[in-house]
Amino acid sequence: MNFKTKISSLLPPLLPLILGMALAEITVRSGWVPSYLIPAPSEVIRSLIDDRVELAVAAWTTLSSALAGLLLSFTTGTLFAIALSASDLARRAFYPYAVFFQTVPIISIAPLLVIWFGFGQPTVIASAAIVSVFPIIASTLLGLKSTEPALIDLFTLYSASARQMLYMLKIPFALPQIFSGLRIASGLAVVGAIVGEFIGGGGLGSVVDSARTQQRIDRVFAAVLISALLGAVLVGAVNLISALTLGSWHISERKAS
Amino acid sequence: MKIILGFVLILLSTVAAWGAQATQLQFALNWKAEPEFGGFYTAKLSGSFQKRNLDVEITEGGAGTPVVQMVANSKVRFGIAAADEVVISQARGADVVALFAVYQINPQGIMVHPERGFKSLGDVFNSPGTLAIQSGSPHALFLQKQFPGYKVTFVPYAGGIATFLTDPNFSQQCFVTSEPLIARRKGKPAQSFLIADAGFNPYGTVVIARRQYVAKNQKQTRDLINTVREGWIEYLRAPEPANNTMVKLNRAMDAVSMKEAAEVQKSFILGAGAPAQELGKMTMERWGTLVNQLYDLKLIKTKPVADKLFQNF
Amino acid sequence: MNSSSYSDQSKSGAAVRCEGISRAFAGTGLVLDRLTFQIEPGEFVALLGPSGSGKSSLLRLTAGLDRADAGRLVIEAEQGTVSRGFVFQEATLIPWRNVLRNTTLPLELQGWEMERAKARAQEELWRVRLMEFAALYPHELSGGMKMRTSVARALITHPNLLLLDEPFAALDEPTRHALQQQLREIWAALGMTVLFVTHSISEAVFLANRIIVLSPRPARILLDSSIQLTETRTAALRTSFAYVEEVRRIATVVPTPEQET
Repeated sequence: MNFKTKISSLLPPLLPLILGMALAEITVRSGWVPSYLIPAPSEVIRSLIDDRVELAVAAWTTLSSALAGLLLSFTTGTLFAIALSASDLARRAFYPYAVFFQTVPIISIAPLLVIWFGFGQPTVIASAAIVSVFPIIASTLLGLKSTEPALIDLFTLYSASARQMLYMLKIPFALPQIFSGLRIASGLAVVGAIVGEFIGGGGLGSVVDSARTQQRIDRVFAAVLISALLGAVLVGAVNLISALTLGSWHISERKAS
Repeated sequence: MKIILGFVLILLSTVAAWGAQATQLQFALNWKAEPEFGGFYTAKLSGSFQKRNLDVEITEGGAGTPVVQMVANSKVRFGIAAADEVVISQARGADVVALFAVYQINPQGIMVHPERGFKSLGDVFNSPGTLAIQSGSPHALFLQKQFPGYKVTFVPYAGGIATFLTDPNFSQQCFVTSEPLIARRKGKPAQSFLIADAGFNPYGTVVIARRQYVAKNQKQTRDLINTVREGWIEYLRAPEPANNTMVKLNRAMDAVSMKEAAEVQKSFILGAGAPAQELGKMTMERWGTLVNQLYDLKLIKTKPVADKLFQNF
Repeated sequence: MNSSSYSDQSKSGAAVRCEGISRAFAGTGLVLDRLTFQIEPGEFVALLGPSGSGKSSLLRLTAGLDRADAGRLVIEAEQGTVSRGFVFQEATLIPWRNVLRNTTLPLELQGWEMERAKARAQEELWRVRLMEFAALYPHELSGGMKMRTSVARALITHPNLLLLDEPFAALDEPTRHALQQQLREIWAALGMTVLFVTHSISEAVFLANRIIVLSPRPARILLDSSIQLTETRTAALRTSFAYVEEVRRIATVVPTPEQET
């Protein structure tokens, strides 16, 4: 893509953002919307600049917790899904409990997590892991079940062992689904980390908590913006790994040539 | 035919209920029902609100309920807040005023395990362990400033005493009239230190409303505050009826703890022993001190004029 | 093209003996109805019938991918053990492996050393004329090339029974004709038993020495006849009188769509 097309492709999504920010700035500055409801974008930006060191440190803490939680949920979720895919009985017995991880409201079990794991990062990582594990289980399970039947026939024809089927066929075939689940999970891991930080302390969660107490809505917005950015960074990393792994062969990665 | 009749009845009663809601006065608490709010419930139970043509509905709150914003936004007419919240909101442009203060002496404190052997707040801050305190709150910042070089680890305060009961190295903020009593009933007696003794003593548990609303509804506000005052005088005399109501609303506290709390908090409410008609009234001097303290803690960038912050009724 | 036979054994096929084979599926009902026939080693047999006549099911039974509900199905090799190759309707290649690695797959599954497997694969790719494309990936191949890879893969274990399930149906006519001829040449060189499922009469007559015609479900044998044509099948044959006659003869037996109930 040459320079001109690059710019013209960036313009459409930028336009609503610029308009929205201008609108917010005008309505808050003029006093039409009180500043304790919505901060003027200029104040949020000033907050980002003034507190950049504190926000950067907090962001790094939250990111590392979210990443650790994601790694944890990825390994346990994938192993769990592989185990469930092997036996129909096992799947029917245990899958409903996996759904529990999806539906349990993390904000209400976070205090329990503190009692089990103590204050600080262990609780935050646990919270991130709990919130992000279900999409991984669901997608991996789906992917393992989506192997082309003819290929399963082929492997059966040559008396492939269950292990050969799993490693040489089912898991590689499931990779697109696995990455899809990982994408969703990475955004959730950031959310889970911040909720965990409300109760466990540290990171962007505590910045939001403290800013809320002091009615510094501009700081709250600044922290929220950064956490959205963290989510985007994680998803971007997943996309990168996905492109590198699947690039040579999967249709979702190949551009029209 | 019956279906149509039923539908019309439902429609009419909905309209009636909605109409009734429009004249109801919402009174939003910032925590669950406790002796801290006993006088309000007494006023409601005694029917005094109704006698003065006030249809008051008290709603409980919890951790993080943004009562000040709800009042500033006219979502509720009256609410409960901390005095420092009033100052900070005024500095941010939300025009709310304080009308009645339940506590003359602020019962905010730090509770610790007696086994730790702490003799003062300084000991608490300069020893290892964890201290749960609302991060960014004025009393937290005040104490951190007073004890720089603190060794204790600060953790978020989430309400309740669950961790206090299980962790012997855990200390937390509290209302000295409330949580330590519950802890003792649950088998873990606590020692508490009053933050007011360290020099930070804003009014506690104040009734707030929008200034514009008060200006336009002087009689209603006066009637409401006088009823509230009567309710508190009665609650100080006989807390049982209100306690019986509140115990049904708040599972975290039992009847015996409420009785104890109601007793313990008397001195905080009466303060230096003002006459009954003066219950809940506030002074410019106290508000001025608070403004200066919050300014020094860099929580506000401008100093609101003290007499804009409250009105006595 | 390399049409030399396998170096490790002389031409050898497998015999297939079906006695009273029946198979029913939930939902579709009885698909194969007491089929009985015998195939001698080295025969090229076409299984002809309309869609849904159960010919694919019969092929899967022969491949060992399914079990019959009733009857006996015995496969005996002339020499050594029974070894099957299967060419599916879709090329069914593994997308993340190139042509060479797709071909080596059956040997990898059987525990062969990679170097030996690759050497064998190169032989088979030479046989199907795909040597220059060994490094390409399936998404870079045409339909015909994918199918040829599939054939090479099926041949790599030196099967004495080669099973094909309408492999050329999705290809354009020129490719189809070319691959039919190549298949015939491969069979002529290697001598395994071939069971070829198709719904195309002209394809069956061109390829096979013997045609078994199945009726629509539940499948019974309508005709089991040898094809009276030269051993060598060339492009010129397609327009010859003898070929057209054979096609016509077979066509009279094969049920047309209106006759299917």
